[in-house]
Amino acid sequence: MKEQLKQFIFSELVYHEAPESFGEEGDLLEAGLDSMGIMRLIMFAEKEFGVTLPDTEIEPDNVRSLNALEKWIRQAPRA
Amino acid sequence: MNETAIPIAFNPADYFTYVLHQEIRNAGMPGGYGGFALELGGEPDLERIQQRLDLLVEQFPRASARLEQRGKRFAWMPTGRRIPLERHHCPHGEGAGAGLRIAVEIFNQPVPSPDSLPLRLHWIAAGGGGLLLLNWMHPLLDARGAKILLDFLCSGQPGKFKESPPLIGEKLAQWSWWKKIGLFLKARRHNHAAISLDSCLPTAMEEGPQCLRLRVRRYSKEESRRIASLAQQYTGLAGKTLYTLGCLMRAMELEGPPVAKAGYCIPYAFNLRRQNAPTPVFGNHVSCLFARATREQARQRKGLFAHLLAQYRQTVQEELDIAYLPLMWLGQWLSPARYAKRLRQQRSGGELSSVWFSDIGELRFGQEGFLGVQVSGMFHLCWMTLPPGLALLAGQLDGQTTLSYSYLHPAVDEAWLDRLMAGMDAELLETEA
Repeated sequence: MKEQLKQFIFSELVYHEAPESFGEEGDLLEAGLDSMGIMRLIMFAEKEFGVTLPDTEIEPDNVRSLNALEKWIRQAPRA
Repeated sequence: MNETAIPIAFNPADYFTYVLHQEIRNAGMPGGYGGFALELGGEPDLERIQQRLDLLVEQFPRASARLEQRGKRFAWMPTGRRIPLERHHCPHGEGAGAGLRIAVEIFNQPVPSPDSLPLRLHWIAAGGGGLLLLNWMHPLLDARGAKILLDFLCSGQPGKFKESPPLIGEKLAQWSWWKKIGLFLKARRHNHAAISLDSCLPTAMEEGPQCLRLRVRRYSKEESRRIASLAQQYTGLAGKTLYTLGCLMRAMELEGPPVAKAGYCIPYAFNLRRQNAPTPVFGNHVSCLFARATREQARQRKGLFAHLLAQYRQTVQEELDIAYLPLMWLGQWLSPARYAKRLRQQRSGGELSSVWFSDIGELRFGQEGFLGVQVSGMFHLCWMTLPPGLALLAGQLDGQTTLSYSYLHPAVDEAWLDRLMAGMDAELLETEA
């Protein structure tokens, strides 16, 4: 899951000189993930992993790193 | 003229902005020019900036190209001309607003000839510091590109900035014909819905020529933090831009729009570039999104933000953000006048856009500043069609929010604009007006 998320983020949303070296705890918001990118990331995750990610849970703590994202998605209800 | 130059064809978004550029010119104004100004605490090395401008033309021949019509299509024809750094001085004794005044005067210079440079850089010296103003013709590059260009001018590694193919072309090439047709039909349906809600406007005037004026509102760090926190509360992390848009709709509604119709429609750009990417620099790489609400929705603060967020979620979910790309691709074969009519006109014949809007996003110059000089502020400006005659450009510099209101005079009533800006403060900061 983390690899798919990472692939999507760095190919579509955020430029990074060496995405392969970007760690699972790396700060995605600091790396440049902005509000419009977050919505696209959420839609990608909902479609790809068959979950529903409620608007009320779109918080920095849930999208800050690949680990946080994975945890949020795994706990989310199935669509 | 460089005899061996190869023309650089417009991409679909370049043509989209060219059509609006022509609409502005047809109304007797200079055209679709954008401005990006950095306020510097000292004078940067101006010789070094000139060397970088020379390198810019060498690395990106389009920077000093001339616009040429080739059959029904348009292209940039590189000329190899030098872009001189244009120097201005504020008269002694003038206050802090002198630099801004000169920037606006530059924008109000008479309609440039077709041979004019599409991109100009100005240094406006004021006191010990000054303004660095980038003034460009929109079909050449979008606002994000302008930011990248400023990065190029002060970067220690100019080689990492490269020409690259249009992102719209890359996206379209990834899709099958069926996918393109599907998206095209989706975008058309979406458009039909958009043009059915008659838009409130900031002015009843429809004819130029007019002059461009500018008001800049800078929020303190504390105010900016409060705005960010309220944006998070009302529209969540995924909807910061929507918070500003919603506040603008409410400020207009509560003040009373000079042309009162059914609701608000505010188009805004969705940039296809990845955040922080040093390329592409030139060309427009955008699709178009719309924030829409009825007047009744705009009157209910909490409900409006929930509505705009749901609308945005649906837009991304149904791929309406990228659905405009096939539509823009087809638009290339329409004449500017026909295309403009489709872009601007409501079903009832009125103007679609209640106001022009763009969120430039977050800029960080940090300790290094611009060539070692502290960047203390920024603002943006742009020409727009009439109506709406008003454009709001939002941006953040090192966490501090700036709103730049460009407007046409005398079309927009300045007393009304003052009240709108006060209303905007109240909405953004959630205080009493």
